[in-house]
Amino acid sequence: MEKFVKAFPSKPLTWPRGKQWALAGVVGSGNLEVLFERNPKTTDQMDCHVESSIPGYKDSWLAALGDFASNYPVGGTKVTIHDQGADPIVVTFRLRQAYDHLLKKTT
Amino acid sequence: MSCSNLFHEQTARQRIASLVDPGSFTEFLPPPARVMSPYLPQLDIPVSFDDGIVIGRAKLGGTPLYLAAQVGQFVGGAVGEVHGAKLTGIIKASARDSIPCVFIAESGGVRLHEGSSGEIAISEAMRAVFECRAKRVPTIAVIGADIGAYGGMGILSTCCDFRIMTEHGRLGISGPIVIEKWMGKQAYDSSNRALVWKTSGGKTKFLLGDADLLADDDAASVGAAIKKLLSKSAPLTIKSVKARQQELEKRLKTFGKTTDPDAIWKVLGIKNVAEASLATATEFTALAKRK
Repeated sequence: MEKFVKAFPSKPLTWPRGKQWALAGVVGSGNLEVLFERNPKTTDQMDCHVESSIPGYKDSWLAALGDFASNYPVGGTKVTIHDQGADPIVVTFRLRQAYDHLLKKTT
Repeated sequence: MSCSNLFHEQTARQRIASLVDPGSFTEFLPPPARVMSPYLPQLDIPVSFDDGIVIGRAKLGGTPLYLAAQVGQFVGGAVGEVHGAKLTGIIKASARDSIPCVFIAESGGVRLHEGSSGEIAISEAMRAVFECRAKRVPTIAVIGADIGAYGGMGILSTCCDFRIMTEHGRLGISGPIVIEKWMGKQAYDSSNRALVWKTSGGKTKFLLGDADLLADDDAASVGAAIKKLLSKSAPLTIKSVKARQQELEKRLKTFGKTTDPDAIWKVLGIKNVAEASLATATEFTALAKRK
């Protein structure tokens, strides 16, 4: 198991009213789950907590997460990931999916 | 969270969202609560925020109900200690508040990584179902995903007042691979999907009377089936248990030596098996000569 915490600079997210969290994906082979939550301590960074069953790919993780934080305004969020061997494109896809759920009006 | 309209392709959360009255669902112990398995990390296996089950309260056509939906993609929807406690809790809440309980099963049974706790959890859930049944509070199992309901979840489903299945759902105790391992590939070929679904799939279970209603593979049809049963309950008495035992003995006598599932369909009133295999739930229900 590989575990790490890392913050990435990002533009502030405008939180939709009434939304506290959003979830995407599932912990299954080649897949992962992503939980976006509010982080009141910051407005200009995305705090990431990653747990992956496959060790040794921290560089790829940092690249995928850093890319997302610079492409989308997600400052002020805490992102927790439970991974079971998703490849970087699936990581990006799930992050984007959770982000979309967060911005939608209904849960 | 809409993606697919097919019930068997939806996630647990999508199933709930597409079934219940819009905005009526309140989740208990949602992902941010992080009530997760204490055992999986010890085995170096990743955990899930909801431990593979979504529980909460909602309304269906204005009627309040307690709901649980299993996440089949997370360790096969298997029941661990936390997962089982959430399931038991929601069924107990039904008994306490006299509000119907619906669970959408998608599980291979007990989670082997936490076997003893999982077994205990299933038996606690069964006890909770019987608490509901003693009070005549409806308990309904919905089985509409390919994983189906096997092992402890198969038993729990059959403890309920009613079972709703789609043709994608499967119901049993030992799963196909387990049967093959015990009996041999010649006796039961688990890679033969037609055989597997003809023996444990929704249509066959409906014909045999193990499923009470057959629904189409969409939330509207499943929802309509739930509505039909929400105000009903099946009596659980010595008489009803004995009658059920007799039915099963009769079934064993009639079909115990049958090797071809199609022959069972024919005896149960299906004249054209090929046509019935493709029939919708409504058409199939009309074809089936069930008592």
